[in-house]
Amino acid sequence: MNALALPVVLPFLAAFLVRPASQVSTTLARWFGPLVLLLCAGLLIDIALSANGQPVSAHLGGFAPPTGIVFYADSLALLFALAVPLFALLLWPREAAGEKGDRVGALMLLLVGSGTGMALSGDLFNLYVFYELLAVASFGLISSSATPRAYAATLRYLLISGFGSVLALVGIALIYAQTGTLNLAQLAEFGPEKLSNPLGLAAFACLLIGFGVKAELFPVNAWVAEVYATAPKRISALLAGVVSKLAILVLLRVLLLMFDAPEARQMLLVLGLIGLASGELAAWRARDLPRMLAFSSIGQLGLLFMAMSIPGEWGLIAALAVALHHLVLKPALFLLAERWSGSLADLAGAGRRAPLAAGLFTLFALSLVGVPPLPGFWAKLVLLLGLAAQDGALAQTAIAGVLLITVVEAHYLFRLVGLLFTKTEHSAAPHRGGDLALASLFGVLLLASMPLLPALADGLAWMAGQVADVGAYQALTLGGAQ
Amino acid sequence: MIMNLNPPDLITLLVAGGVGLIAIGAVGLAVSRHLLRLVLALGLAEAGANLLLVVAGYRWDAVAPILAGAAPAGAMVDPVPQAMVLTAIVIGVGVQALAVALLIRVKEAYGTLDIRELKVLLERDISAAAGLAPPCSAHGPDYPHPPGAALPVPLATSKESA
Repeated sequence: MNALALPVVLPFLAAFLVRPASQVSTTLARWFGPLVLLLCAGLLIDIALSANGQPVSAHLGGFAPPTGIVFYADSLALLFALAVPLFALLLWPREAAGEKGDRVGALMLLLVGSGTGMALSGDLFNLYVFYELLAVASFGLISSSATPRAYAATLRYLLISGFGSVLALVGIALIYAQTGTLNLAQLAEFGPEKLSNPLGLAAFACLLIGFGVKAELFPVNAWVAEVYATAPKRISALLAGVVSKLAILVLLRVLLLMFDAPEARQMLLVLGLIGLASGELAAWRARDLPRMLAFSSIGQLGLLFMAMSIPGEWGLIAALAVALHHLVLKPALFLLAERWSGSLADLAGAGRRAPLAAGLFTLFALSLVGVPPLPGFWAKLVLLLGLAAQDGALAQTAIAGVLLITVVEAHYLFRLVGLLFTKTEHSAAPHRGGDLALASLFGVLLLASMPLLPALADGLAWMAGQVADVGAYQALTLGGAQ
Repeated sequence: MIMNLNPPDLITLLVAGGVGLIAIGAVGLAVSRHLLRLVLALGLAEAGANLLLVVAGYRWDAVAPILAGAAPAGAMVDPVPQAMVLTAIVIGVGVQALAVALLIRVKEAYGTLDIRELKVLLERDISAAAGLAPPCSAHGPDYPHPPGAALPVPLATSKESA
């Protein structure tokens, strides 16, 4: 199954061909990136179909693991790997042709290649390299709006992210010193024995904070609001929607394969709860839409970390439900913010002038809060049931916290919905003609998923079962395969 | 002098050095205000992490992992961490170069390299771009400049319209 390497290799190769291509023809350069992404998405779909639901693996360069690096793709990895080129295609920046357009296109391709690699790689150091590549590509994309504030925000983000990578590297060094391997399957074998000590827990904390920078984890998320407010909104959508989920996927694998200990899960629960509370309260205080969405994104990812803290398959189902819900919703909301980037007060009456946009916003807000028939409700319900099944004061505090914070979330979102539909004499609402087609597509996706929820739930449960099957992971990556 | 130490002592020394470098870097990141110092602190912390990684694979009773012709008798040092550290160093250099490039742009635009001033200016700039008045001073003075000092004026607004 060496085709598995192509969706990673092709975007990397293409990234450096964009500029030469534009020397030949500007039209070619314009369509080159999207075409490569389409090809990658097609390849991944082909792999998923031919794998028939079974996990597949690829040994890079023909070196068998644990010597060589292995790519591992179960249905979850394939789902996220597919989401990277697809979302990048949908959110492809609309730059004019020319040198700047080429540069942004090349950076997008680098982002897609490294993001797909993060979803597929089965080696801890390889994951770290892809993570760094992803970070550098996203620095370039954030500052592509070329405003001074974007440069300043990128620089602050770079410093936090750089510190995160140092911590991740320390975590990797600790794990290597303890076990002598960085192959995830081998680590799953040695982990329970050699990593269930304070040093192992410290390694997990380092990896959690290190990879958590991209996943907007509580102590290392100071960059979020500035970056999402200054970056082009499509890039914000991509970072909040897809890139944060890739970091989550890496952490999920590390947690399941190596550190399945109650202390690690407690760490996730506490940091998640603090992230949820601080994010939503900051969103409540925010006075413009991009930053409100940025803070609410921190809150939603806090919820996701809390879901990850629930042991067993139920926790995985909850985490997947919250992650997929956020994956669809947040990019759509940032697309709406492309149109309404001014202060919240200026949005009074904007809904009367753009009913479709306001209707979509209302739909997303309802789902985000968790109003019953919408998917957001079921995601939160699964999470709360999972927390309720646990004993201990911490889990009960978490339930109370989630419910309380939901009220805050409902207040600021519905306040804005009300504001959108107020009658005003003269509306100062900025009426940029952002395209609604894409946001509508996400809205339709959300609505279409409602009648399919039972099937979707079965799919998630099956996927969770596959992810939790550590034995299969080891057998496929270390055992024969090809 | 170092050669006289026993291997276990030397390992302890190296690990302590790695941890110490990371600690210096972390403290530097936490307390420094000058952006260039912050970038350098990051570099120190990275060096510490790299040192830890090399020490993780080192063995005293082994030779350098170079295969020339026949394999040498006896054990070789684990080459994997050394290869990884090479990668990590290259990544670190790239990121630091990018940081310095951004730093120049920031200095040109805002006229300051003080991270705290920059944070306030950035906040003001984002609010202004969103059409908001700067945050009210309910939390005390929101600008840490000493009274009388000239405020650096961002060139931000002149380039906005694009």
